[in-house]
Amino acid sequence: MEQNRGNWYLLTGLILGLVMGIVYSWVIAPVKEVDTHPNLLRSDYKDIYRELISRAYQANNNLPRAEARLELLGDEDPALSLAAQAQRYLAESGDNQTAKILANLSAALQQAAITAETPLPAPSPSPGENLSSSGTLESSSDSSGTAAGRTPTPGEESTEPTLTPTNSPPFILQDSSAICDPTLGEPLIQVIATDGEGEGVPGVGLEISLGADPKEVFYTGLKPELGLGYADYLAEPGLTYQLEVPDSGLLIPDIEVPSCQTEEGDSYWGSWEIYITHPN
Amino acid sequence: MSRWTLFLIVMLLGLGLGLVYGWVINPVSYQDTTLHDLRIDYKTDYTLMVAEVYHQENDLDWALNRLTLLKDPSPLTSVENALKFASQAEYTLPDMFLLRDLHNAIKETN
Repeated sequence: MEQNRGNWYLLTGLILGLVMGIVYSWVIAPVKEVDTHPNLLRSDYKDIYRELISRAYQANNNLPRAEARLELLGDEDPALSLAAQAQRYLAESGDNQTAKILANLSAALQQAAITAETPLPAPSPSPGENLSSSGTLESSSDSSGTAAGRTPTPGEESTEPTLTPTNSPPFILQDSSAICDPTLGEPLIQVIATDGEGEGVPGVGLEISLGADPKEVFYTGLKPELGLGYADYLAEPGLTYQLEVPDSGLLIPDIEVPSCQTEEGDSYWGSWEIYITHPN
Repeated sequence: MSRWTLFLIVMLLGLGLGLVYGWVINPVSYQDTTLHDLRIDYKTDYTLMVAEVYHQENDLDWALNRLTLLKDPSPLTSVENALKFASQAEYTLPDMFLLRDLHNAIKETN
């Protein structure tokens, strides 16, 4: 009986010591984190970091470097994170300038991804070049493709050449019409911007206004899941909007969401669809 | 050995085990760190980004504002630390130039 009591006594002491040790090391004097990685940053600091990467990209047009920097933040889809941040800035602070900078990098990433996915046509040998027995193109020129003289960003591995954003040629209006689609769920003004080959064009700035009211700005490509050239604006029924593509000097007036009816006779608000494209 | 002495020895053993567990085996994990906590190579890259933008836009107020977020004693210290690391890590000359350019611009205002 005496022996059993002694054993419990010791166990109590051990548990008490353990608890005190854990409380001290977790609550009173926890390990101080220094020398951390950007992916551990608080979300508002990640926003600042992302914005800085976008601004730096705008300054140096170095997409591989921007990609390597974005990778440090650990975003699952960096292009989507940039687009979401741009949308948040537009909605919360109306900071069009920063939103555009973020959208530009998002668009460049998406374009680069498409370029990487598109198989290049097999090159036909030009005079002075020979096809080897294995069918590969042999050329005397240097084809290393590495960007020499570049400081590696922490964690950077990519050595792809820089993608320089191109200035878009002006857009022309292809179609502008009311649509009745009950699956959309809400009245939208949808814009689809395509190039001469029918590919979506991201990063196109669009200004929407109600007559003399201040314009609101939005961009194509901020919802990449719906297409790179896609943008939409939640419209209010009964109002007449006008949409402008400032870079192209294109103005589309008299945009109104239509009143529609389902097959069962239920009423709902439709949407407005606008297709703009580069002339061939 | 008395019961109390044994109790204290075992409790100290538990305390030691608890500290090892809390500090080494399973320390508190921080997910919400600040720019100040970044490792020196990331801080240097952050400063380089500010320098890249400053070189293009020439907006020193904006650059100082961004450098202040690193919470070093001064923005000049941030750039000096970055220059020191960049030199050790053998950054390229254009990048070193950008950092020096920002460093000189800040120094002129002080």
